[in-house]
Amino acid sequence: MHGHGMEGCPGSRTQDFRDNKENKGDESGKRASELKQWPIQLHLISPMAPYYQKADLLLSADCVAYTAGDFHKDYLKGKSIAIACPKLDEGQEVYAEKIQSLIDDAKINTLTVMTMQVPCCAGLVATAQAGASQAKRKIPLKSIVLSLQGDVLSEEWVS
Amino acid sequence: MEEFLNKNIKDIIARYPEAGKILDRYNIGCTTCSVGSCLLKDIIEIHNLSPAVEAELIYEIERLIFPGKEVKKRPPRQRAVKPQGEIKYSPPIKKLVDEHILIKHFIALIEPLCALVNSSPEPDFQLILDCVDFIRNYADKYHHMKEEDVLFKRTGENLDIIKVMLEDHASGRDHVKQIIEGARVKDKAQVIEHLNGYKELLTRHIKKEDEILYPWIDRGLSTSDVGKLYVEFGEKDASLPDDFQKRYQDFVRQVEDILNKRR
Repeated sequence: MHGHGMEGCPGSRTQDFRDNKENKGDESGKRASELKQWPIQLHLISPMAPYYQKADLLLSADCVAYTAGDFHKDYLKGKSIAIACPKLDEGQEVYAEKIQSLIDDAKINTLTVMTMQVPCCAGLVATAQAGASQAKRKIPLKSIVLSLQGDVLSEEWVS
Repeated sequence: MEEFLNKNIKDIIARYPEAGKILDRYNIGCTTCSVGSCLLKDIIEIHNLSPAVEAELIYEIERLIFPGKEVKKRPPRQRAVKPQGEIKYSPPIKKLVDEHILIKHFIALIEPLCALVNSSPEPDFQLILDCVDFIRNYADKYHHMKEEDVLFKRTGENLDIIKVMLEDHASGRDHVKQIIEGARVKDKAQVIEHLNGYKELLTRHIKKEDEILYPWIDRGLSTSDVGKLYVEFGEKDASLPDDFQKRYQDFVRQVEDILNKRR
């Protein structure tokens, strides 16, 4: 097993955060889920579903929700969602078409793409941009990149 | 000090002129503002200073206002601050900034245009009226109306900083009326005076918007707000002829060519 070395793919390299991660959060109380829909996987969702109409859409890489401690409160609240893994999912050629349909048919208001810092995750932003460039409507597209420990490394409007 | 944080900047500078110099050192250019109705606390907030710099600025002003009093520096406020450095705008705000580029290009031509008017025995007043058409239709109707009909309605028109911007728009329209009148009676001095007045006003106005107002508005917009603004600006643009942008880009280039040939 690898430690913190630089070998191999950064997306699949083993890294152990047990010793260096301080839990500074407040664990009292129980937070309600902000998820307002099902399904959520990009292959399974239908752009015609009512919760996508004129919505602010969050397109999240699968790992993001496990990384961001307050994913529901900080990112999902008030948004519709679709999730995908640009590294492992099969049949990704339909993803750009689905995003195009979400923009043109569901007339989503904005698209926010959340990815991890690992290089393979950037593919999801590229897919979103491809779908957006094929769409007739133009909408604002934001990219948020998280570190492996859930910190925001960058947050910017990309188009 | 709380009392002074809630006073407008014009009154503070009138009573303590050194305050204007302190603000200048922090790149807060309120000393040249034509209105000066913004409250000191809002000015500090709008400029997105880091908590430490903000505390230092308040400390300096407090020492100025209370010279004999022992003043303690406030602990920096705990709050999120957007990174300093290159300004990154949201797409709808970026659109307004991009529109400023053509307006700034035109403004850069005003000085040689005034020189041409001044040196010509019979100035081309039709060219001046064509420039007025650019100011009225592109800079004012197209760009400023997007701000007045959409953006400022969203931020709130009664905010002091927005009132300052609206005052600038009104002053610009006054200059335009004077330019038209000057061209009508063929009064070179009047045309030159108000073209220059417009140039100075818009130069300051655009700088305030690009560097202070727009980033401040952007910091307050939610993702959903950004999408809605983008749609509303798009609807405004769609209501204009398809060649609107190109027509005025071509016009500014033509004016530039005319001025280059006559230099």
